Amino acid sequence: MSVFQLNVNGQWHAVNVDGNMPLLWALRDILGLKGTKFGCGVAQCGACTVHLDGRAARSCITDVGVACLSKITTIEGLSYDGSHPCQKMWVELGVPQCGFCQPGQIMTAAALLAEHPNADDAQIDAYMSGNICRCGTYPRIKDAIRKLAGRATS
Amino acid sequence: MSKKFTVSRRAFLRTAGVGGGALVFGSYLTPSLQAQGLIQNLINGFPVPGIPIVALKVNGDVVIITHRPEMGQGIRSSLAAVFADEMEADWKRVTLKQADADSKKFAVVFPEPVPADYTSLPFPYEAITKTIQPKVQYLIAPEGSQFTDSSRSMTAYFQVMRLFGAGIRLTMIRVAAKKWGVDEKDCRAEKHRVYGPNGHSSDYRWLLLGAMKQTAPTYEEISNALKKKEQWRYIGNGKEPMPFYDALDMVRGTTVYGADVDVPGMLTAMIERCPVANGALLTYDPAPAMAVAGVRAVLPIYPPGVRGGGVGAAFHPHAGVAVIATNTWAAWQGRRALRPTIRWDLGPHATYDSDAFRKELEASTSNPGTTVRKLNDVDDAFAQGGDTMDAHYYVPHLAQTPMEPPVAVALFQGGRMEVWCPTQNPDGAQQLAGQVVLGLSDAQMADDTFADKAREAATVHVTFLGGGFGRKSKPDYVVEAAILAKQMPGVPIRVQWTREDDVKFSYYNAASSQYLKASLGADKRPTALLQRSALTSFFGTLFPNSSTYTTPPLTPSDLEFWRQARLGKYGGGEYPYASGIERAQGLEDMPYDVPNIRLENCKAENHIRVGWMRSVANVYHAFAINSFAGELAIAAGRDQKDYLLDLIGKDRILDEKTFTGQAVERYRNNELPLAAIEVPVVKGGKVNQVVAGFPPDTSRLRAVINQVAQESDWNNKVAKYKNMKGRGLGIAAHRSFLSYVAVVADVSLGDENELTINDIYATIHCGLAVNRDRVLAQMEGGVVYGLSMALLNEITVKNGAVVQNNFDDYPVVRMYQTPRIHVSIVDSDEAPTGVGEPPTPAVAPALANAIAAAGGPRIREMPLAKPTADEAKQANKVVFV
Repeated sequence: MSVFQLNVNGQWHAVNVDGNMPLLWALRDILGLKGTKFGCGVAQCGACTVHLDGRAARSCITDVGVACLSKITTIEGLSYDGSHPCQKMWVELGVPQCGFCQPGQIMTAAALLAEHPNADDAQIDAYMSGNICRCGTYPRIKDAIRKLAGRATS
Repeated sequence: MSKKFTVSRRAFLRTAGVGGGALVFGSYLTPSLQAQGLIQNLINGFPVPGIPIVALKVNGDVVIITHRPEMGQGIRSSLAAVFADEMEADWKRVTLKQADADSKKFAVVFPEPVPADYTSLPFPYEAITKTIQPKVQYLIAPEGSQFTDSSRSMTAYFQVMRLFGAGIRLTMIRVAAKKWGVDEKDCRAEKHRVYGPNGHSSDYRWLLLGAMKQTAPTYEEISNALKKKEQWRYIGNGKEPMPFYDALDMVRGTTVYGADVDVPGMLTAMIERCPVANGALLTYDPAPAMAVAGVRAVLPIYPPGVRGGGVGAAFHPHAGVAVIATNTWAAWQGRRALRPTIRWDLGPHATYDSDAFRKELEASTSNPGTTVRKLNDVDDAFAQGGDTMDAHYYVPHLAQTPMEPPVAVALFQGGRMEVWCPTQNPDGAQQLAGQVVLGLSDAQMADDTFADKAREAATVHVTFLGGGFGRKSKPDYVVEAAILAKQMPGVPIRVQWTREDDVKFSYYNAASSQYLKASLGADKRPTALLQRSALTSFFGTLFPNSSTYTTPPLTPSDLEFWRQARLGKYGGGEYPYASGIERAQGLEDMPYDVPNIRLENCKAENHIRVGWMRSVANVYHAFAINSFAGELAIAAGRDQKDYLLDLIGKDRILDEKTFTGQAVERYRNNELPLAAIEVPVVKGGKVNQVVAGFPPDTSRLRAVINQVAQESDWNNKVAKYKNMKGRGLGIAAHRSFLSYVAVVADVSLGDENELTINDIYATIHCGLAVNRDRVLAQMEGGVVYGLSMALLNEITVKNGAVVQNNFDDYPVVRMYQTPRIHVSIVDSDEAPTGVGEPPTPAVAPALANAIAAAGGPRIREMPLAKPTADEAKQANKVVFV
């Protein structure tokens, strides 16, 4: 056990944990930030996606000892009121069904659009295919990103 | 035909309990009221007697109590909006509150009492006699009131919600009219306000006290006050889009799912389970786990030697040992340390191998089974010589894998259990948690008196579900939490499953072999059709069927008790055969118009826990019958779609008479009546109570086929693709959960049968599409779910243990694999039918037919694809990566 300083959503937190504890559990169990979800634990599903220095990362396989080197953004830090363009578009198009995977989907989409503001379909597929949705909301997620990227929807 | 969905003419709300004249505050404002209750009511709203789904605040705001669990189908908003629409509530002044488990509260009695001597109440109402209180007959029985399964929420509650809402609106109008001294006919309500002549208007809040003294309207009055279609605000997306109450929370990450519940002082448990069903713990050493920082306790689920969950053990969890720690990661690390120290008695299923078992299933369907439907004589027709075709189809075990793995929190305190969990089955979770508290046996729980005691011993708070798909109908994970909590009184225990746990300890959809045989006439149309269905019934898991699977071993009289219980419940039938529920999902209601038919139920034992998964038995029945239709069409050189319409034949109803005439013992129509029924009222009523019926109706099946053909431009594309190498269209259509869906798949195949799905078209007939956007969303998602089943999902078992682990070896469809999906709804004003499951079954057979039409192999087993060309070639499948 050691003390790590985590910069989460612009605030510093000291956490006293094993350095190999995945960031996911530090966020959820220690800091009480429950918006980041556990879906697989092996970076297969993307439900745990956060931003490390603005880039999408799977918090279930990112050790706290590594995460402490970056600025961490979670869904709670993307906006406090759901006003991020992705969140607004998700609501507008009625993307969520059960909603469980959507924080992760949105974090990945936000990173994609930050990097490629006019992302094309190939870029959307490449970025978003790491995020599983068992409700099958892919068509609407894709449409939401296309609209945000200024492209025509299906 | 479901022409009507009105329910009698008399005092609906009165008999439902609104009576006594007090609609709104009832007795809650009497001086004898306890101050605490008053404060509660001021905060949460005052209950409305007789209307369990609503509370009203003194400022007139409405709290709608959403009693059906939300798992992505949107039912919270949909049912609430139906109610708000009829009440003319201003949606801005509506809040939703999820109900705890309270199945009796949300049951609905017939509006008018059924006469005590009235004995001819038809199915399914006769089937719930056990739940009849003296002189009370349920329209929706307690056991089904919260059980969110079988795509039944809207079908069951649409009309009820409307009546509840309209009753309140009518009362508000009456109070206002009286206050203003005007005729109520000259008043109308809109968005929380009553408007009268002469410029009068009043917010609902100023009418609440008047409503308290107002005599409740009669059923007939409410019935007449129901809005006309053109007056609907949200229903069927009338004037405004249906509200989606939870969307904003979901995208902000603030929605509370089971895993997000945080009870002060809570510890997290991870459980290492016996990999084989009905296994037992022998020995374990807690020391290595206890040495892990943060681990507080290591506790077995059952004492060593006691057989755990599995075949015949319903919702009792597998044998296991829990590591309980201060956080999830510590519990996980502790579990890793514990694992090597455990020795299991793997029990009676330790040699179960799903590949070997497949051969057993296919042998079963190669021989006659029990006839469940019979029209004329297929053997005669087969004996006459001529062309015949036959084929075996196979579907493996499947796991639901909702995004949120199972999780539950339990706190044992003061002799009661308090539970927080994502569940489709609140009543089941409550009974089981109470059973743990009281230490009752399963046989005792079969007695209503004990079941009620168990319910009283537990509170179940229902959280949002991160997906359900049938997995969360089985509360084994709640039982685990309760068992552990009981051992640590006062400490809230959260049981968190990993994805590996979820994949390895599901209640799997049945593995199934289907055999079909047809003799063909000169026109290449079948003259006889034989279908044999073998499936590992979930009833084999729900009801004990062997003396050796449990501790203590069951005696012959115990086994006979459970045999009778199974026979008496939902047409459970004998072990090891399919139950009435499974037979009714695409076997007994086989829609093809063939002069000689025999459908058979073939033997299939359980060696692993079997449950149900989105669309259940329709998965293999729809795959087999639609694939076979495609094979017949292609062999006949006919257009698939025309041939399918021809097979279905002219518009007709499969009614009770058809079924009984064709030897179906009892067709279980998703537990709803086939024909509209009329129930007499006790006294003085001139008009009987009428409830909608939902018979299999081939005109609706034809309607979805015709519409999807149009949407997909079927005729033109078929002509165009004829001259294209490796391009093809396939079609399939299936009725399930009272709805009808047709799917067209447009595929391309590469030189090594690499599959590209270009487009999927899907059309549903679900009666009135109450929440159109959510119906479309379910269609899109149901198609994606069906694609995963069709192409990727397969659970295999070796030495009794599931081989797969996580999404790497149990893959599901991802965005890059998702084709363009085009969904549509057949316009209808009929009573609403299911939406959550019906989109799924027709996807796999439509794909199989498209692959064959594109010049690829005829694939008779799911999944249709392999990840590499070599594997695909060997298995005669397509490549899908």
